[in-house]
Amino acid sequence: MVKRALAIITLLLIGFWLAKGLVGVPFGEDKMLVGEYYLENVKEQTGAVNAVTAVVVNYRGFDTLGEVTVLFIASTGVGALLWRRKKERSAKSEGSVVLTAGAKMLLPFIMLFGAYIFVHGHLTPGGGFPGGATVATAFLMLYLAFKEYEIDHKVFEPLEGLAGVGYVTVGLIGLAIGGYFLFDWIWQTWQFGHENIGRLFSAGFIPIIYTLIGIKVGTELTGIVDNMIKEEPKGGGQ
Amino acid sequence: MGEASKISRYLYTVIVLFIIWMFLTSSLDPQELEIGLILSLIVGALTYEVFTEKGLANLHPKRVAYAIAYIPYFIWAMIMANLDVAYRVLHPKRPINPGIVEAKTVLKNDLGKLALANSITLTPGTITLDVKEDRYFIHWIDVTDESVEGASKAITEPFEKFLKVIFP
Repeated sequence: MVKRALAIITLLLIGFWLAKGLVGVPFGEDKMLVGEYYLENVKEQTGAVNAVTAVVVNYRGFDTLGEVTVLFIASTGVGALLWRRKKERSAKSEGSVVLTAGAKMLLPFIMLFGAYIFVHGHLTPGGGFPGGATVATAFLMLYLAFKEYEIDHKVFEPLEGLAGVGYVTVGLIGLAIGGYFLFDWIWQTWQFGHENIGRLFSAGFIPIIYTLIGIKVGTELTGIVDNMIKEEPKGGGQ
Repeated sequence: MGEASKISRYLYTVIVLFIIWMFLTSSLDPQELEIGLILSLIVGALTYEVFTEKGLANLHPKRVAYAIAYIPYFIWAMIMANLDVAYRVLHPKRPINPGIVEAKTVLKNDLGKLALANSITLTPGTITLDVKEDRYFIHWIDVTDESVEGASKAITEPFEKFLKVIFP
């Protein structure tokens, strides 16, 4: 009881302190210093209509590379933590016909929609991470609906690595051509797609990087699900 | 009717995906169509084995016509059922007589069973609880007939006359 009261009082104090700090920041006013620059130059410099993706992939590309690395480490970490020699699905019963038939029917649509999200990263909200997560839900659905389902590890893990390597390669080509890592060579040097900003084939390397990130995130999250859903076979002692 | 050939199943998946893509993008920009075709081919290659068993046979004109005709029929059934439930909720005596009944279906195809189960659930007053082989276990808000035949006549048969053509 005393513990709980103390916790509530502490939280109230922290909340009060934060609110006091935020009083000086009024809503709805122009506070942008760097933001102004992004919004004014995003179309000429990157070709993307979606300013967020331009910032995330182009202006602040290193952050995205870091995020992809974090996901990769998470996936590897889960794999390492749950590593066992023999792994089996522990599902006891198959779903009813309604569940399995529904999962079969929805699978291609979810995957297509995930691909739609990451291909249109430079035009619509979304990008590689939401698109990849959507693709991963398609596989999660298969895992939940079917007792026997298992992804093809010979395809999935190499694909995950290749997508990551592809991202870094695109950045390294930029280093060779433009002088710094993640330089947008397709837009700046080739001038590809300059005449149709706002259509699909524009925005330099953003769609390419987002496709790679989408594949990477999709396979990674699926791998995490795959690792977590498996148990040691019965009889194998621990 | 067994499984159709692989090519037919693949083509059917690609066609369906491409139509969905056109609805998603709702533009006829050639760039969108190119990427859409490529993605449909890729996603189709990954999923056609799971997605369809009958392949292009699904696009038989009679079945497509029945599927289109089923939409207004189903929406009408849904509106009437919703009004019926609203009446039961608003009625001071609440004339409900709930219970779980068993009904049987003539549908053989898994997709047909899925469509029937969803149709039953989406028309309020009836909820599909489980499907086993050709038996449906349905929670009914107003049980008028407890026998299998009677329940089938009242619940599954109105939808089946369409669904057995759409999913033979």
